[in-house]
Amino acid sequence: MNKISIAFAAGLLVAAVTPAFAVDEPLNVIKYRQNVMKSIGAHTGAIAGVVKGEVSFAGDVEAHARSINAMSMLLGHLFPKGTDNAAFQETRALPAIWEEMGKFDAAMKGLQQESAKLIDVAQGGDMAAIGAQLENLGKACGGCHKPYRAEKQ
Amino acid sequence: MAGTGRCFAILAVAVSLAAGLWAISPRPAAAQASAQPDVGLTAGEAVARGASVFHAAGCTACHTDKKNNGQPLAGGRALVTPFGTFYTPNITPDRDTGIGNWSVVDLARALHEGLSPAGENYYPAFPYTSYTGMTDQDVGDLWAYLMAQPPVSKVNRPHELPLPFRFRALLGVWKGLFFSAGRFAPDPGRAATWNRGAYLVEVLGHCGECHTPRGVLGEMEWDKRLAGTAKGPDGKKVPNITPHPKDGIGKWTESDITYFLKTGFYPDGDFAGGAMVEVIEDGTSFLDDSDRSAIATYLRDLPPIAGP
Repeated sequence: MNKISIAFAAGLLVAAVTPAFAVDEPLNVIKYRQNVMKSIGAHTGAIAGVVKGEVSFAGDVEAHARSINAMSMLLGHLFPKGTDNAAFQETRALPAIWEEMGKFDAAMKGLQQESAKLIDVAQGGDMAAIGAQLENLGKACGGCHKPYRAEKQ
Repeated sequence: MAGTGRCFAILAVAVSLAAGLWAISPRPAAAQASAQPDVGLTAGEAVARGASVFHAAGCTACHTDKKNNGQPLAGGRALVTPFGTFYTPNITPDRDTGIGNWSVVDLARALHEGLSPAGENYYPAFPYTSYTGMTDQDVGDLWAYLMAQPPVSKVNRPHELPLPFRFRALLGVWKGLFFSAGRFAPDPGRAATWNRGAYLVEVLGHCGECHTPRGVLGEMEWDKRLAGTAKGPDGKKVPNITPHPKDGIGKWTESDITYFLKTGFYPDGDFAGGAMVEVIEDGTSFLDDSDRSAIATYLRDLPPIAGP
């Protein structure tokens, strides 16, 4: 085999394989988005364990809050058009997101702000204040989940 | 249309039962009406107590049309059911369009017996099947609270119901079959916390109205009490809240339940969306910690049921 035919064969191989691994395909974005969301939920659940008094790791709250805040900064690019639940049953993201992008952006900013505040409050170490701010964070979560996420079926 | 056959079947059942039940079903309204409840030492105290009754009973969720920026308690929210679309009424104390002319006895009759001041039957979309258990004290306090709210002038929108459901007369039959008026009776063999939880879950909170599956006539299926349904309000799935380990909330700790009812956070850190978030925001988040604990105690003691 000469070099040209090797290159040609390699080209064919790439062409054949590429669609299955297409970068940023809607389903891949949906899966990635769900992993980011689950990580936010996991950190929130961990803080709730501290607030409920189930565990004594109050010193960890700041780290969890920082993680939530960092993840909240990623959300902006995780909702490309065509990743709604009308197109894919794998997601519960409602088409209303793309009809009301301005409102949706504002709701996402809400999470960024409330998680930033939670970092500050966590540094203070006052458990009652942490609990109250976690509730504010929850309201920010609900600010998107209520209007823009379908219920579990 | 698929629903038509069922409608006729239901009508046929209803009519055939009507003859037999008509004689025994309608109870003289006055005989069942409550005595004037004790309104308390001062009106202010009754209003304050009424606020917690109001939150536990979750009145706001149905009687405020939040989706369309409706005024608080002025009604108009659409409730889509298999029997048609109901529009909730105005329960502000506006004298012309709300309940401003209602006496405390009128409110008691509505809650305890499902009857309007004029003696008409209410559709059970209004959960008097649960509220019938309310104590007279709670009804009196709720009345005081409602009358202290700002009146809003908003005319009630008529329900949009297909035949035969628009015949209110059939409701007498339905009530004869599926409704029995009666105050909540605490179980003397149980702790006060358990009984308080039972009252909050079964009566004020009317949790079963969504979380219990319904039969073809819209009646609750008591053998599957609080076990969830695939066909809840607006055709949505409603979760099983019995302590079944797999299908229900058997793995939730008491603090998982109380924290969820206070904040909306699930034990896994997800945050409630959908109808439950309204129940939490307008209702259970306002309760005392002791009441949320009572709810958790009662729910965790229910018989675990699989499904839906």
